[in-house]
Amino acid sequence: MKKVFMPLVMVAILALIPFVGVQYAGLSYLFGVIIPYTAIVVLLAGFLLRLADWLRRPVPFRIPTTCGQEKSLEWIKYDRFESPHRFWEVAARVLFEVLFFRSLFRNTKAEIHKDANLAYGSHKWLWFGGLAFHWSLLIIVLRHSRFFFPMVPGFTDLLSHVDGFFDVTLPTFYITDAVVLVAITFLVFRRLNDAKMRLISLQTDYFPLFLIAAIVVVGVFMRYLTRLDIMPVKDQMLRLVNFSVDAPGDIGALFYVHLFLVSVLAIYFPFSKLMHAGAIFLSPTRNQCNNSREKRHINPWNTAIKFRTYAEYEDDYREKMKKAKLPIEKQ
Amino acid sequence: MEVMMKSRKLLWLVTFAAFSIVVALYVFRNGEAELSQKPLARVSAIDSTKCIAPKEFMRANHMQVLQGWERSVVREGDRVHIASNGSRFQKSLGTCLGCHNNRLFCYNCHSYANVKPKCWNCHLSPMETP
Repeated sequence: MKKVFMPLVMVAILALIPFVGVQYAGLSYLFGVIIPYTAIVVLLAGFLLRLADWLRRPVPFRIPTTCGQEKSLEWIKYDRFESPHRFWEVAARVLFEVLFFRSLFRNTKAEIHKDANLAYGSHKWLWFGGLAFHWSLLIIVLRHSRFFFPMVPGFTDLLSHVDGFFDVTLPTFYITDAVVLVAITFLVFRRLNDAKMRLISLQTDYFPLFLIAAIVVVGVFMRYLTRLDIMPVKDQMLRLVNFSVDAPGDIGALFYVHLFLVSVLAIYFPFSKLMHAGAIFLSPTRNQCNNSREKRHINPWNTAIKFRTYAEYEDDYREKMKKAKLPIEKQ
Repeated sequence: MEVMMKSRKLLWLVTFAAFSIVVALYVFRNGEAELSQKPLARVSAIDSTKCIAPKEFMRANHMQVLQGWERSVVREGDRVHIASNGSRFQKSLGTCLGCHNNRLFCYNCHSYANVKPKCWNCHLSPMETP
């Protein structure tokens, strides 16, 4: 249980730091300017360094995970997306994985029934919960672009409109706010519910979940309950986008909690499992063509070996072989 | 077979729950209708010569004030706002817009911050007044 409570306590402490810092110590410059800039620098640099590190690693052989017929002879039908052999097929496969989590869709669950039979069954809940969580998060992040543009782009307007489809409460209730909270609750309880899952779950699995949950809860609180004054927030966000270092205006402490937790998430990102966002594109088991029957892939690590062919051997010893009456290929 | 029985039970349960919610809503609605028949308390005329609170407070909290007004007028029929210095105002958008009569008074900031409450779905927007 320590694995669950430690991250929970850490997130609570992280949320308290900016609240105390701004409310009682007046550190709004630190939490409104210095830390956000640091966070974005760490996120971008860290992300790029991780990607560069992975890109430098040689992958000498074709190791794609496939579950379909490989392309071989003309008259054998092959599976374009399960065993891709052209670049665009690989690209489509990666894209489907990123957008719709195809491999999770195939998730199965094994359980022992009462009559002691082992049974396997399709188990789509993780796929569904993960999809709901990631898509809501994407829409929420895109919706936040209204803080970063002086004139709000039409796309954001459209997105907010669709998201606020139900048109209830003031300010309008966004569907994704609820979906992301339900999904993250499910994802946490999925880990806690099953003994096997509890065993393999680590602090690094719970921490980002709790951190994102805290960010969402504080955001929901600001929007629907406290109804934070948004004008100085927009001023401050525009300043950050324009690389200005002016002090922020008079903003409620709750906003700094939100911003600080987002900064923590950004700094944590390149050092953690959250890097799966970049890694999924670079995973060699997924981003390679399965074409080893068509093309020879030579390991670049192989040291150059001087081979001696039989023809050369025969050239050297032809006379001696003739004398010994050994058969020779070339007279 | 067992699974089917289970799902049928669940179906009945959900139907029953939905039915009871509809009934509860209907009863609740009737109660509200009686409430609205109470005579409304009114201030005699709209007074827009002074603001209900200091400028800084209103800038940061006008949404809370208006939301509070909306609830208390619609749900409780209370149309009188008593300011902290004891003066009385009518809870109406007209009270605000009588003094803040610039057509772009709301629009400027609200378009900048991209905050779009639905006031003008029912009320007449200052940008539409002749």
